[in-house]
Amino acid sequence: MNQRTFLLMAGLAAVAPLGLIAGQSASTSAAKTAKTSADPKTPWGDPDIQGTWTSDDTWGVPFERPKQFGTRATLTEDELKAREKTVSNSEEFVETGGANHSPAKAQIDAAAKGEAPPPPPQGRFGRGVDSAPVPGHWGEFARRASHQTSQIVDPPDGRLPALTPEAQALLDAKMKMRRDPIPASYTNWSYYDRCITRGVAGSILPVVYGNGLEIVQTPGYVAIRYEMVHDVRIIPTDGRPHLSSNIRSYMGDAVGHWEGKTLVVETTNLLGDRMAVGVNGDGGAPYSEDMKLTERFTRVSPNTINYELIVNDPKTYTAPWKVAFPITHEPGYQLFEYACHEGNMAMHNMLSTARLEDKKAAAAGK
Amino acid sequence: MSNGKPNLTGLWQALGTADWDIQDHSASAGPLYQMGAEGAVPPGQGIVEGGEIPYTPAALEQKKKNFASRFKDDPEVKCYMPGVPRAAYLPFPFQIIESQKDILFAYEYATTNRLINMGKPQEAATDTWMGTSNGHWDKDTLVVDVTGFNGNAWFDRAGDFASDGLHVVERYSLIDANTMNYEATIEDPATFTRPWKINVILYRHREKDARLLEFKCVEFTEQLLYGDLVRKPSGGK
Amino acid sequence: MKNRLLQSRLWVAAAGIGLLLSVAPMWAHHAFAAEFDVNKPLVLRGTVTKMEWINPHAWIHLDVKNADGTVTSWMIEGGAPNGLLRRGFTKNSLPPGTEIVVEGWQAKDESTRANGSNITYPDGRKLFIGSSGTGAPGDKGGDK
Repeated sequence: MNQRTFLLMAGLAAVAPLGLIAGQSASTSAAKTAKTSADPKTPWGDPDIQGTWTSDDTWGVPFERPKQFGTRATLTEDELKAREKTVSNSEEFVETGGANHSPAKAQIDAAAKGEAPPPPPQGRFGRGVDSAPVPGHWGEFARRASHQTSQIVDPPDGRLPALTPEAQALLDAKMKMRRDPIPASYTNWSYYDRCITRGVAGSILPVVYGNGLEIVQTPGYVAIRYEMVHDVRIIPTDGRPHLSSNIRSYMGDAVGHWEGKTLVVETTNLLGDRMAVGVNGDGGAPYSEDMKLTERFTRVSPNTINYELIVNDPKTYTAPWKVAFPITHEPGYQLFEYACHEGNMAMHNMLSTARLEDKKAAAAGK
Repeated sequence: MSNGKPNLTGLWQALGTADWDIQDHSASAGPLYQMGAEGAVPPGQGIVEGGEIPYTPAALEQKKKNFASRFKDDPEVKCYMPGVPRAAYLPFPFQIIESQKDILFAYEYATTNRLINMGKPQEAATDTWMGTSNGHWDKDTLVVDVTGFNGNAWFDRAGDFASDGLHVVERYSLIDANTMNYEATIEDPATFTRPWKINVILYRHREKDARLLEFKCVEFTEQLLYGDLVRKPSGGK
Repeated sequence: MKNRLLQSRLWVAAAGIGLLLSVAPMWAHHAFAAEFDVNKPLVLRGTVTKMEWINPHAWIHLDVKNADGTVTSWMIEGGAPNGLLRRGFTKNSLPPGTEIVVEGWQAKDESTRANGSNITYPDGRKLFIGSSGTGAPGDKGGDK
């Protein structure tokens, strides 16, 4: 499949109504609804936002806006062209199995020639819980170039508000632990690496794979099922109150209501001082148990829902902030089971390696 | 529902002790005497039609081995996904969300969930814990055909199991507005001499504002699974 | 060469140097230095005995014939398989008996485990190229 054919098909997919691909039952019924109305409705009259959706197209958009953009939320024509090139390059990267990505062989070849090897892949922390690039063919990428300069759209500079001193202290402690060159325990790793959860925001913020979710509706409920890490939120729209504040959880308690064709979801009852609002539920200061999340889902076309998340946590952030990007329906895209903990050999392997390194360090120290 | 089908949406849970043992069983001691009566196994009437699971002789030997090490090897101890049909009779509620397209089952235990494909049946791309579910309506009964299992889940805490050749056909039908009959036909020539059935009654939770809560049990298993690999405080190891 | 350009562009993106392309690390969930040794690169050629299509990492079991004729069983850690499943690959896509070449880094504990950074057939063709049979963009055909 060459690049042009791929882009043509992607283009068709973007404008085609749902329901062209056999086996996608959600698409078939949605196509019927979509064709009869600009704002599709379920049979009982709620806006219809059902289907399989992915945040793949926002993969590559910086979470926080690089400072030189200032308050500009949209790319210029030239910047967009550059990003379009990256998108098509990424697709080719995946379609060709990752091009000639051979850093290991490069090291061996250099050693054979007696040359200095190219620097090995570096991670964020240098040691400790660090990681290396995923070879291309395992990854998933954007199908279209996003116009956004950042995922954060408010405050106007597209950057996180300042942390409170308490939150900064929590973040510093966390980063210190992550840099520990020989991890002491499974608690050195994120809740994602421990296969526990990525949290509400982390389950939809795009990463290099696994960005899919399914929305299923029935009278009185909207349910959202996320592939990674197999999370589900059952959102009642019947006006019931939140759970008692004595019952808390990683995904919190969500209640929803419709404002026109927008589903507004409010989430409270979170377990605090653990997860962050960031990629994979990590990469930021732990939020407090008082955090309140407000999300909006608005279907603006057969294949696009505009998603918005407002974070309100005065104990952590000195101001509320908002993330917004579209999630899209892609013909042929389906979720697969992501049973994480069941196959988490890496955690066992990493810890046993760490204890081996402890032994070596102790022996060397003597 | 406006498509004429019964609406199975709700928070459901089985009573009884099938998760301990799907066959008839007496009360017995649990693995930790320190837990006293709280840690003991309650008695139960089995849910297997005909009483006994028709294991092949070799499979029966494996079941006995599983039973002997059940408090260590049961996937439920490790917070692994329960598979089908065990998910239906765990001592935890589950939520059904029935749309007019696909049907979602969200189980409180381990945040296990699966989507029943109600469109054109799809083959399993790979083997998984919860299998690949294709459903259709047989009059007012929801029939779910599940294949593509990885053979790692158990049927209960007593070591009952099957291989990755397992094939389960579930039938969900309302007895009345708040009670559902659940029947599953289990087939696996590598493990059983013939197909066999289980039958469980599911009850709707009717408490005010009853909703699915979260039991993310991975954290409760980390000490068990990784505790011996955690750095001991200095002075040890 | 175009391929090297692609590679360096992706590296640029991954390293966060490119302004428009700076992203959270691609490798956020692929713990490497905690398990594998950057100073132990290797190339293994062997026969697949099993591929486990599991998350969070797929594992390829490989029988490698050593110089002295003995056979060593290696476990090669790959990425998460769901992206491949979405492109139409299935558990039958890398059958036992297939010969492959794996480049990567050995586990720090010096066991017969390695991280599979680059996996090809002996003639250099990449594994898992493109899509097959899902109707996904780039699909070459299929009846799903």
